[in-house]
Amino acid sequence: MAISGRFVLLVLLGVVPVLLLPDWGTVLLVSGVLAALAAVDLLAAAPLRTVSLLRTQPGNVTLHAAVNAVLTVRNDGGRRLRGVLRDAWQPSAGAQNAVQDIEVPAGESRRVTVRLRPVRRGDLRAPHATLRSFGPLLLAARQKTIHSPGSLRVLPPFHSRRHLPSKLRKLRELDGKAAVQIRGAGTEFDSLRDYVRGDDVRSIDWRATARRSAVVVRTWRPERDRRVVMVLDTSRTSAARIDDETRLDTGMEAALLLGVLAERGGDRVDFLAFDRRTRARAGSAGQGNLLGQLVQAMAPLEAELIEMDWPAVPAQVRAVSAHRSLVVLLTSLDGGAPEEGLIPVAAQLARQHVVVVAAVRDPQLGTMLGVRGDATGVYRAAAAERALLQRAAISAELRQHGVSVVDAEPHQLPPRLADMYIRLKAAGTL
Amino acid sequence: MTGAAPASVVYGGTDADQASVRRTGWVRRHRAFVACAAVVAAALVLVLWAQLGPKGDAVPMSVHNAGPDGARAVAQILGRHGVAVHDAGNYGAAMAALEAGSSPTLLLYDRNGFLDGPRLRSLAASAHRVVVVSPRLQTLDALDAGIRQAGVVPDASPVLEPGCSLPDPQAAGAVSGESGFLYDGGTTCYRPDGSSAGLVAVGNGGRLTVVGSTAVFSNGQLDSLGHAALAIRTLGPSPDLVWYIPALEDLDTGGSPASLDDLAPDWVRFLGPWLVLVALAAMAWRGRRLGPLVFEPLPIVVKAAETAEGRARLYQDSRAVDQARDNLRAGALVRLSGHLRTGPGATADQVIDAAAGLLGKPVRELRELINERPGTEARLVAWSRELDTLEKEVKSR
Repeated sequence: MAISGRFVLLVLLGVVPVLLLPDWGTVLLVSGVLAALAAVDLLAAAPLRTVSLLRTQPGNVTLHAAVNAVLTVRNDGGRRLRGVLRDAWQPSAGAQNAVQDIEVPAGESRRVTVRLRPVRRGDLRAPHATLRSFGPLLLAARQKTIHSPGSLRVLPPFHSRRHLPSKLRKLRELDGKAAVQIRGAGTEFDSLRDYVRGDDVRSIDWRATARRSAVVVRTWRPERDRRVVMVLDTSRTSAARIDDETRLDTGMEAALLLGVLAERGGDRVDFLAFDRRTRARAGSAGQGNLLGQLVQAMAPLEAELIEMDWPAVPAQVRAVSAHRSLVVLLTSLDGGAPEEGLIPVAAQLARQHVVVVAAVRDPQLGTMLGVRGDATGVYRAAAAERALLQRAAISAELRQHGVSVVDAEPHQLPPRLADMYIRLKAAGTL
Repeated sequence: MTGAAPASVVYGGTDADQASVRRTGWVRRHRAFVACAAVVAAALVLVLWAQLGPKGDAVPMSVHNAGPDGARAVAQILGRHGVAVHDAGNYGAAMAALEAGSSPTLLLYDRNGFLDGPRLRSLAASAHRVVVVSPRLQTLDALDAGIRQAGVVPDASPVLEPGCSLPDPQAAGAVSGESGFLYDGGTTCYRPDGSSAGLVAVGNGGRLTVVGSTAVFSNGQLDSLGHAALAIRTLGPSPDLVWYIPALEDLDTGGSPASLDDLAPDWVRFLGPWLVLVALAAMAWRGRRLGPLVFEPLPIVVKAAETAEGRARLYQDSRAVDQARDNLRAGALVRLSGHLRTGPGATADQVIDAAAGLLGKPVRELRELINERPGTEARLVAWSRELDTLEKEVKSR
């Protein structure tokens, strides 16, 4: 049961007869007439017991993009349904027109399109929808909330996509395919082709040249079909916010860029989100394209308030890849925990694999370091200095164990990790 | 990536059987709300009960008021000495008591001037004697006994001597003049120095006594100076005493101008209630929500620099000058070593030597700066700035 603004207006107009014939009898009479009108209208409204909702799941959308959610209202009753529909999406789904007027003739159905512009990654839900059916006078309405679950998967935005062209170009340069006049920097023999001016004379294949009239050069390419295993830490440290983004989100951006790049580079990519158990898993072996699988796997991830189970990580990596691989650990380097967890495990992995630890550095620490106006500022600088020294010490210890470390600020981490991959690939160490 | 998953159909009718479950669960889910409502209701009842419950008489000069400004003491003393004290609640009661008594005395204390001329005159005519306490100008005019107001008792004379030949004041002796009023005309007593007006004035051949102070009759000051004697001698001569303090209800509204209510047309009475009805309807209109709210599961997010900030506050609270100095020194040396390319294993002295060589400064001076141990916070701030400057110099080379 609900009343409309029109009914309120009618009550306000009821003041005219009350003032013209000022008497308690008039007041009672006018109130009675108004109540009767509302009751009649309510009884004449289309019943909601016979209305059904059919929801078409909107599927996937990337963060900050828009998508339409479609809800079909079917009126199986004998009366025309006139009213309001509210599609109850959770607030972060960003429904632009969640409340809409609807009109469904008896025995027909109508489609309602709600435009969503989500502002949070993950699985967003709409548990129910509410219908309000007005009577012919539009004075009073029946109301009913109908359980009708809907969900929308919001994928990570992959902002680091913009670095992809330049990194792919670098990769092609390694391949010797790009139109730059250097030899392919890989180590595997690829093919022979005609010499063009500017090619390095050292790469001329004299034996082949002798067989033909033209000069022929050898091209090289980097090794292919190597394995890249990315382990994303979803434990408590990944909940930290740095520059408007959690460590988890920055790690996803870096993993997406590296994953796409490595796949184009001809390598097999596996992704693993882990804290005390596997939260998500994706890889080249699965169906469909890699990027789609990665974003689908990452979308519902949230930081868990538990400690990372580092000793279990080598077994997880072994389960993914039994061969020598590039293992990328996307985690944090903050003091305390790494000495016991990260360092021994990274060292153990480094004996069999090539290990890269990628961590986000907080630019706030650098700012704190620079402000030394008063005692408070100097103490803050000292504390920031201590945090940075600890990171430096952990990085140094990791490097001693043959582990590469990428320690960068949030927007720098994805391209720096990609650079590290290209450097390792060029060096032929994979 | 976007694919339409199989749709789900849900009929509204299936919810009906859950309704009873929902109703029983309501109280449990809104436990806190119900508890709050109960507490508020209890508080409301308590306040209303306290407001509406019987209260002690707090009217000044009332014979039932036992407070310092009441007059219960003097009424009881008079009662014990055979004077019948009639407490008149309103004008009618006062008139009735005056007519029933034999040569009655009327005590009138009309602080706000509620009584008009005719009523005052008929009261004065019915009473044998009238004692008026601190009367206003209109009251004196209406009584027409030639007694006028003459200002307040000056602060210079807190105690007034009788200074007249009337027997009552002479027997009573000095009284307090504090916050009292002076009256002129008739026979005046208790005159301040250099004034012809007094605290007590008697006119009409002794039938009207004006007393310019309530302190004389009040519970609080009855036992000081000659108050008790003056009060009892003034009020006690006749067997009946009518104690009358006019209240709002004694205001004669018969002749007063019409109120706003009388001037307004009839329909105004209905406008307010009807607008309340409109407001209630508007509340129901806007207040009805379109279905229940939807929960938003919020993820945990912590600011990363929080730990460093916390450590900084710990340093500051414990004034850890040495610890701060060690951190800043180590950080500066690590960065200098990076700039000067002295290698990861270089000692502090090697870094200092390299920096001195680069800047062309004496090694001793740099060593003293870097190895200094600031004793106070002020020195720490200055030292850390010097260190910062040194770093910038090396960086700029």
